[in-house]
Amino acid sequence: MKATRASVSPIAWLIAPSALLFALFFFLPMGLMALISVLSGNPVVQSNVTFTGKYYARILSDSYYFEVIWTTIRIGLFTTLAALLVGYPLAHWMARIRGRTAYALLMMSVLTPMLTGIVVRTFAWMALLSDKGAINQTLTGLGLIAKPLSLMYNEFSIVLGLTHIYIPYMVLTLVGVIGRIDERLEHAAQNLGASPLRAFFEVTLPLSLPGILAGSLLVFALAISAYVTPILMGGFQIMTLPMLIYQQISSSFNVGFAAALGMVLLAISLALIIAYNRILGMISGQRDLQ
Amino acid sequence: MSAAIDIVAVTKTYDGRTRAVDAVDMAIREGEFFSLLGPSGCGKTTTLRMIAGFETPTEGTIAVGGADVTHVPAHKRDMGMVFQNYALFPHRSVGENVGFGLRMRGMDRAMIARKVTDALAQVELVGYEDRRPGQLSGGQQQRVALARAIVIEPRVLLCDEPLGALDKKLRQSMQFELKQLQRKLGLTMVFVTHDQEEALAMSDRIAVMNAGKVEQIGTPSEIYDRPGTRFVADFIGDTNLFRGEVIRTGGTCVLRVDSDLSIELAEEPGTIGPLSVALRPEKIVLTAPGAHAGQGLDGIVESANFQGGSVLYRIEAAGRRLLAQQPNNGSHELFQAGAAVALRWTPSDIVILKD
Repeated sequence: MKATRASVSPIAWLIAPSALLFALFFFLPMGLMALISVLSGNPVVQSNVTFTGKYYARILSDSYYFEVIWTTIRIGLFTTLAALLVGYPLAHWMARIRGRTAYALLMMSVLTPMLTGIVVRTFAWMALLSDKGAINQTLTGLGLIAKPLSLMYNEFSIVLGLTHIYIPYMVLTLVGVIGRIDERLEHAAQNLGASPLRAFFEVTLPLSLPGILAGSLLVFALAISAYVTPILMGGFQIMTLPMLIYQQISSSFNVGFAAALGMVLLAISLALIIAYNRILGMISGQRDLQ
Repeated sequence: MSAAIDIVAVTKTYDGRTRAVDAVDMAIREGEFFSLLGPSGCGKTTTLRMIAGFETPTEGTIAVGGADVTHVPAHKRDMGMVFQNYALFPHRSVGENVGFGLRMRGMDRAMIARKVTDALAQVELVGYEDRRPGQLSGGQQQRVALARAIVIEPRVLLCDEPLGALDKKLRQSMQFELKQLQRKLGLTMVFVTHDQEEALAMSDRIAVMNAGKVEQIGTPSEIYDRPGTRFVADFIGDTNLFRGEVIRTGGTCVLRVDSDLSIELAEEPGTIGPLSVALRPEKIVLTAPGAHAGQGLDGIVESANFQGGSVLYRIEAAGRRLLAQQPNNGSHELFQAGAAVALRWTPSDIVILKD
């Protein structure tokens, strides 16, 4: 037998492609973005480039940018909340369902939003939500409303559109976590005198907090960085950070300012993730959650 | 406080065709340690789940303390239950686990704390209140589960294979403790197990179940010494089963198994035709061949399995293989494989079985 000298498992090398990918396409661009956000110009094409804080100062000085940041966060929070409220019962149902066929059908229906193209999906929403859409026509026809409700091209429609596409992420995350919770724990709680609803709140919900956390962070991160859906569903009426960043690069050619906005978006996400984690950890009393 | 349970003609079917539990009748007495024993899939756990209220019988009624509870939801049944693998709440401390049922009953905090301490003292786990279930050993988790079930002073304590996950030594000491606790509190206890030794050791009465039906209900000695059916005789302990035709010669009744073997029966079987009988290995006395009186056979020892307190012999006799067990107490001759032996028994030890 040949003595093996290497203490590192050969399987460890399988991590190399993903490590390389992360380094090249994640850490490097992040670093560059951070760098560009504090440089006065593009060092590749300009000669006398200096460090500057002017882009950040601009964000702080104009309340318009606060407005955009707050809108983005608000949309992210509402989308997360909606996805959680709709997704949790669905995930609970899927995790506890017995029939394989029923599970497969539910899974299919959960995944459909991911299988339809964004344009098709948006036109479908338009057909439903616009002033002359199905919902407004029906309500007016029934005499329930005098003039059409504004359901399209506002924050509501953006949140609706985002919730629709990001629910699968929430559901799939939750199904895994809820499915691993022993059903006998609920039975034990009921046996000890808790109604089925009480048993859910005492046992299943706290035990599924890690899933709620993971699913929420995923949906929130996707929602605040979404670009196409907010444009189409908002009809350029609502400005979010990704839209502002795109605008700065494509029409104002202000890469430095765009980079600073990107850093702000990143910082906000990180701050919210940490806060969310802490709060949930405190509520559940699970110190190991953090 | 403790209550009797009456199960009347209860049937449970999930798909309308196969019956997980099939027309089961049981009258469990107040303060009784009652075991449901059988192989997996025999319907014992389903029966327990119906008593607990996690399943509703398709037909029949279940009454506790004289009141029909068939359609009462689980959380209103006031029963304690110890689950297989304990089902302790992993996100709560031991104290919170034990106090859960009391909190659901709206008891005030000081009272809960006192009762939790008492219950933990009952299971010898004082001072473990603040630990998490994950930090305890299997035996300790078992005790917490037990404390959680008894602290609510239930009318009935249900146990679903509670000792299954423990190693043998611990299981035996828990058997003693559980039995002692049950007797001290005067609890009606329904205990599901597939372990016949456990059921025999602990129960006041046992219901042996097979394929959704009750095969026999009786005390451990009745079940062991007087098995009613072929299944019970075969499932509980080792046994020698014979099948033959009943014939009467003069005043005695004889079971003719084949041309080599006829067995005298002490009692009248009541039926004519084919019949099964059982003979426990320890009821057979082995001696050196020669003068044997009464019922008996000659055979050759095929193997001798020394078990410490006794020796289990496999004996080739009358063209079949029989089991015989002799205590290792000095008063019995020990035989080696290949030795010729005489087998004797008394006709009253032959048990007539229903198929």
